[in-house]
Amino acid sequence: MAAGRARAPRSMSPERRRRRESWPLLFPAIALSLLLVVFPILYALGLALSPTSATSLRFDQLTFETFRTMAADPVFWSSVRVTLLIYVGSLIPQLVLGIGIGYVLSREVPGGRYLQTLVLVPSLTAAVVVGLVWLLIYDPTLGVFNYLLGLVGIPAQDWLGDPDRVVWSLILVDVWHWTPLVALIVAAGIRNLPAEPFEAARVDGANSWQIALRIGLPLLRPVITVVALLRTVDLIRYFDTGYIMTQGGPLNASTTMNIYAYRKAFDELQLGFGSAAQLALFALVLLLAAALTWLRRRSELGA
Amino acid sequence: MSSARSRSRVAIALTYLAYAVILAVFLGPVLFMAWGSLHGTGAIAASPPDLTAPASVDNYVNLFQSMEFGRYLGNSIIIAGGSTLLGLIAGAPAAYCIARLGLKSLSILTIVARMAPGVLFLIPVRTVAIRVGAIDSIPLNYVLLVLVHLIITLPMCIWLLIPFFESVPRAIEEAAEIDGCSMRRTFLTIALPMVRPGIAVAAVISFIFSWNYFLFALGLANADTVPMPVIAFNFIGVGQYDWGGLMAAAVIIAAPTTVLTFVAQRFLVRGLTAGAVK
Repeated sequence: MAAGRARAPRSMSPERRRRRESWPLLFPAIALSLLLVVFPILYALGLALSPTSATSLRFDQLTFETFRTMAADPVFWSSVRVTLLIYVGSLIPQLVLGIGIGYVLSREVPGGRYLQTLVLVPSLTAAVVVGLVWLLIYDPTLGVFNYLLGLVGIPAQDWLGDPDRVVWSLILVDVWHWTPLVALIVAAGIRNLPAEPFEAARVDGANSWQIALRIGLPLLRPVITVVALLRTVDLIRYFDTGYIMTQGGPLNASTTMNIYAYRKAFDELQLGFGSAAQLALFALVLLLAAALTWLRRRSELGA
Repeated sequence: MSSARSRSRVAIALTYLAYAVILAVFLGPVLFMAWGSLHGTGAIAASPPDLTAPASVDNYVNLFQSMEFGRYLGNSIIIAGGSTLLGLIAGAPAAYCIARLGLKSLSILTIVARMAPGVLFLIPVRTVAIRVGAIDSIPLNYVLLVLVHLIITLPMCIWLLIPFFESVPRAIEEAAEIDGCSMRRTFLTIALPMVRPGIAVAAVISFIFSWNYFLFALGLANADTVPMPVIAFNFIGVGQYDWGGLMAAAVIIAAPTTVLTFVAQRFLVRGLTAGAVK
């Protein structure tokens, strides 16, 4: 204690020196972040607050008109609904399948590491590639999906052209695309679990299912919330695969908030409108991320 | 003893069986793509697909000869490589300072970049780029695309490298500082060489994500600077699809990232969760 106090004044000055010396090292990253992150966000905010008819920033006439117009647009609310549907509809199967597959990946078998990497291939493949492959698979006349379903007696469908079905078809693609990543993270989490609680439960005579559900899952909760957070941030901003496969159609049935903003801004050249929609989306991402972070803190305290 | 061993042999067999099912589902479409890239639309469009049709590399030859695909491949390499390099140059010293001085509040900036939707950046960047003539000019457009992809690579490099710098023993750096080294010299001569594996991981993961990213080039590239993903997307708009050619393009886009995935496999989990875990 005394030694620590004696050292404190002496370590103050190198500490201050280090802080001063750190500036040149930090400067490039800070300058680039201000230029590429902060400035565009402020600019987009300015555009969103400019009059709806404006094509550039109008600081002299700030108004909420654009937000009000957007709130009156049924397509905007449909895009909110589609966004949330894709989020929940994709997240749940990804977590459930990811935990199951993660358990398999966590088993030590010869060559397991290479098999694991093979499983991960879809998640590190470009959205364009995924979109192209699934466009071919889903093709109503020559697609292999209808052929395989035909083998078990399900009639051919237009998977992407039917407004009632298109979102579910896109969800299936996203589950295929990202479940491997969820599984890999869960597998790493399982390998890091302590052995004692499992041994104790076995000694007490619990069966495998009881051990998995009562001990494994609760211990995994922090890992699962991290994965949910990662997927939430990406799913709420759903754009790439959907835009590539359907451009938001048919009849806006697969237009998410992100696709809505892109089309407003670049097809209809309503920059303020697009910015307003993006800010609404950003707010939604931050809200859900904050909620999940709070959940994670709690689950870590509990564990 | 023997029952325990046979049970573990059953467990291993079951694990392999489960792997077989999982791989069939997740690699099936990828293998189908690879097969399709070696065939004409006739064989692909047959129901069931004509698996006995002879394979050829015509689709690949065609892409590079009549579609100038080599150029788009080069564009992708410039954009992903350039943004990865700049991300490391700016990100590594920043990550070092954050790790040493505990400047967690500073890394909030990088979380914002990770969470904000891409179109939010694209609208202002495109507006400014049009005004300064960075859409039509070829060299300026390359600079623009590399810079914009930093929105992806810079946060990733910073987040990936923080834990590597944190794991460098503090005593070594303190000894150097007592010997009169400035922070910049300590970083360059001591910390940086010790985190070489981290630099490699950050480079690979940044490259994969920059390579795969689609939106910025969709909104900003011109006809000469456009990278492969956007070109492949533009093929879809033509109407009548040349499925064999599209699958060949898809294979070429997917091949480098797949190879890199195997190179970096041991670090991927840590890399992909960086940012969320902290």
